[in-house]
Amino acid sequence: MTNETTTPSGQPLGISHRPSPTEAMFDRFRAENKPAFIGYLPYGFPDPDVSLDALRTMVEHGVDAVEIGLPYSDPVMDGPVIQAASQIALNNGESINGVFRAVETVANAGGVPLIMSYWNLIYHYGVERFARDFENAGGAGLITPDLIPDEAGEWIEASDRHGLDRIFLVSPDSSDDRLEIVAKNARGFVYAASRMGVTGERDTISASPERLVERTRKAGAKNVCVGIGVSTPEQGAKVGAYADGVIVGSALVHTLLADDDKTPKDRAEGLRDLAAKAEALADGIHRAR
Amino acid sequence: MSVLDDLVAGAIEDQRAREAKTPLETLQRQVADSARQPLDARRWLRKADSIPVIAEIKRASPSKGHLSDIPDPAALARQYERGGASAISVLTEGRRFLGSLDDLDAVRAAVDIPVLRKDFIVTDYQIWEARAHGADLILLIVAALDDDRLRHLLDLTRQLGMTALVETHTREEIARAVAAGADVIGINARNLKDLRVDVNKYAELADDMPADVIRVAESGVFGAVEVEDYGRAGADAVLVGEGVATADDHELAVNRLVKAGKRVKASESTPLSEHEGPYFGQFGGRYVPEALITALDELERVYNEAKADPEFHKEFARLNKQYVGRESPLTEAPRFAEKIAEKTGIHPRVFLKREDLNHTGAHKINNALGQALLVKRMGKTRVIAETGAGQHGVATATVCAMLGLKCRIYMGQIDARRQALNVARMRMLGAEVVEVTLGDRILKDAINEALRDWVTNVKDTHYLLGTVAGPHPFPSMVRDFQKIIGEEAKRQLQDWYGIDHPDAICACVGGGSNAIGIMNAFLDDDRVNLYGYEAGGNGPESGRHAIRFAPGTGELGMFQGAKSYLLENAEGQTLDTYSISAGLDYASVGPEHAWLKEIGRVNYGWATDEEAMNAFRDLSQSEGIIPAIESSHAVAGAYKAAADLKAKGYTEPVMIINISGRGDKDMATAGKWFGYLTDDQAKALEVTGAHGNAVA
Repeated sequence: MTNETTTPSGQPLGISHRPSPTEAMFDRFRAENKPAFIGYLPYGFPDPDVSLDALRTMVEHGVDAVEIGLPYSDPVMDGPVIQAASQIALNNGESINGVFRAVETVANAGGVPLIMSYWNLIYHYGVERFARDFENAGGAGLITPDLIPDEAGEWIEASDRHGLDRIFLVSPDSSDDRLEIVAKNARGFVYAASRMGVTGERDTISASPERLVERTRKAGAKNVCVGIGVSTPEQGAKVGAYADGVIVGSALVHTLLADDDKTPKDRAEGLRDLAAKAEALADGIHRAR
Repeated sequence: MSVLDDLVAGAIEDQRAREAKTPLETLQRQVADSARQPLDARRWLRKADSIPVIAEIKRASPSKGHLSDIPDPAALARQYERGGASAISVLTEGRRFLGSLDDLDAVRAAVDIPVLRKDFIVTDYQIWEARAHGADLILLIVAALDDDRLRHLLDLTRQLGMTALVETHTREEIARAVAAGADVIGINARNLKDLRVDVNKYAELADDMPADVIRVAESGVFGAVEVEDYGRAGADAVLVGEGVATADDHELAVNRLVKAGKRVKASESTPLSEHEGPYFGQFGGRYVPEALITALDELERVYNEAKADPEFHKEFARLNKQYVGRESPLTEAPRFAEKIAEKTGIHPRVFLKREDLNHTGAHKINNALGQALLVKRMGKTRVIAETGAGQHGVATATVCAMLGLKCRIYMGQIDARRQALNVARMRMLGAEVVEVTLGDRILKDAINEALRDWVTNVKDTHYLLGTVAGPHPFPSMVRDFQKIIGEEAKRQLQDWYGIDHPDAICACVGGGSNAIGIMNAFLDDDRVNLYGYEAGGNGPESGRHAIRFAPGTGELGMFQGAKSYLLENAEGQTLDTYSISAGLDYASVGPEHAWLKEIGRVNYGWATDEEAMNAFRDLSQSEGIIPAIESSHAVAGAYKAAADLKAKGYTEPVMIINISGRGDKDMATAGKWFGYLTDDQAKALEVTGAHGNAVA
């Protein structure tokens, strides 16, 4: 037997003790007493090339970590805006192979690259293969909206081997037992859904996320970020007062959609609107405390 | 000199140094004076309900170099024990593995479970030493020992009350170990070229060992995935080192392995008909957002309570009889049997299970009624459901009307147009029908939208899923509500016709609820051949079908809450499906079916549109019974099943076909297909939107 560090199959590799880039980011922000701004955009929307520009634009205009979405044909946790964007991306030839370029783009621009994906896409690509390619591209962690820790055995192992963060979700009606299971298995941060339901912009944010963040921390989570429904700088400031990070999705995606909410906006105009929206949100969020 | 020779030579040299300080006689005296008797490790290493985990204290290895400092091995061992480990392995080799007998002492003092001394043991002295330091188990490596030496060391180990784990790599070494009397054998199934663990190789090696030998999978266990693979390949126990020693949370890491082992054992030790989720083999699970877990847990709890409550069963049985009209008859079909005889040359007796005669015209009401009673129990007030062609939607709207529940049905816009009459029927029953305009606007999109509704309104809403798919507990629960079909058929065949058991069952498979329903009662009776037929559309090569099981069609994947077979493209995106029957037109299939396919209990085939439509006419015109187009796939399948039975040597088999629903709803489709309508009549149907197909 030779002194292998990687094998073609990846088995049985050791646990990587690469420090979590996401946690490093939160430590930095904690020292400054600021919440982090996490922005979501589907890769390949409106098309693969423009999406790279858009991701770069986000980082250049105040987004600290980017949640790069992988478009999926059956996104059960997403509302109309992200559904429409995903459909446009799929129609325009989005492929999972290209997402690692997006990861590199975000990393090169100075942002922390996260991927958000429904589980079947990762499973189909190959969990170990995905972890390897994601790590090689400079990726930090994966957000899994339809994978609970109980089903995540293969991912927990692959992410351990490659030093990647595992971001699971919790929701306002999660029991304390569930919060503990999630906190125990998560790495990087826990994603707290601000309300019961799917992604999408809302005029008001209820009080429940603050309570959920508190309960999740009590269950053992070090970093808790709040997403779903946060769409304005005011809401970002409100949530950022108590959360370690604020996640904005639909509101950013929206800036690239035309008025019909079904087709992409002109590229230059879209990127301009995206930059403005990101800046406004970053301003609100970073000054939350 | 090989690595092993090198390690053995070093171990002997170190032993001599120790022996010079502590002669063998001293060790023997220590052993004689010690009150402690070794534990019978064999009792820890084979369990009916779990795969025992031997967790290793491992600092380094020649292949990996340094792994972990482990300043306090006793604390680590205690964490392993708390995580559920059945034994602790302690490396005592000092040169390359950085272990010591001090480690062994510390661990022995810390835990109450068996402790394995892992070293390169080739002398009597080392075995006495292990015993003196409190080991219950020692490792013997066949490759390092000749036959006589191996036998001698095994005997000494036993004399001292300990157990030997005998490590092997090849078939030949296993034979040598067995011949020497080893009763705990470790198999190292690592492919030495790429270090990959080859479970197939393991299964092959472990295959012909005597039954009383405990099989330990020794290499490459990193996590739950490997434990499951080894467990399925027949390992009694696993030994894991690095995967637990270098984890951040040692207790959790061991516990994950223990849980994985329990899953495998639970699945293996139960009769086929009594399997409960969440897993059927590797299939099933709960691949859903965390936001639904509370609701799924509640549903599971309430369902388990209901199952144990005689009052619930009484109420269900009463409504089945007085409202649904059960039992549904088992009708002999001699003229249709004649048609099979003409085609195949064998002479079957054919019986039809008449779910078409239930209230609302299909088997769907069985499940809708059962779940609606649970909704009442849970105190929820609102029900949502998906429907493809309308049959499940109608059944759900019906029971909601009967029980006074608010009801919303999601239906893809394309399906809603094809089935305008069923839309009206649901509205007549007081349900709200939402046409889904997202995605492909068919059944799967209706399910997506129902799931989004559920995530949002889960507090007061129950999702009344219509088939044996989706997240646990739906596949087991829906199966339980449908299994009455097979139970009745079995009894009716005996009581009405004096036949002990059928030779074959045929059913169509969309999500698979009617098929599971009729098959469940026969799963553990090997005399009964089971056949499931998927929707072949224009045939598997056409790309226009809903066949998930044939080679080159479905792949393993997660879809709408469960792991099963799935029609997906190269990117993992769900493929469009096609069938003349909307009720079978679904990209995935219930996880229990995937498992029954994997273990070879059910034969799955398909019937094309054309075969199904011909069977539809055959049965209508030979027996005066008009089946749903969905059920016609089972009827078409009966011809294929008969051919298979003939090949197996049957000449007069008894066959039951499940007629899951009636075909009135399909008259427009049939009229068009067979040209029974004039152009004007066809056009008139087109205009009213009464066009359709539908059930499964």
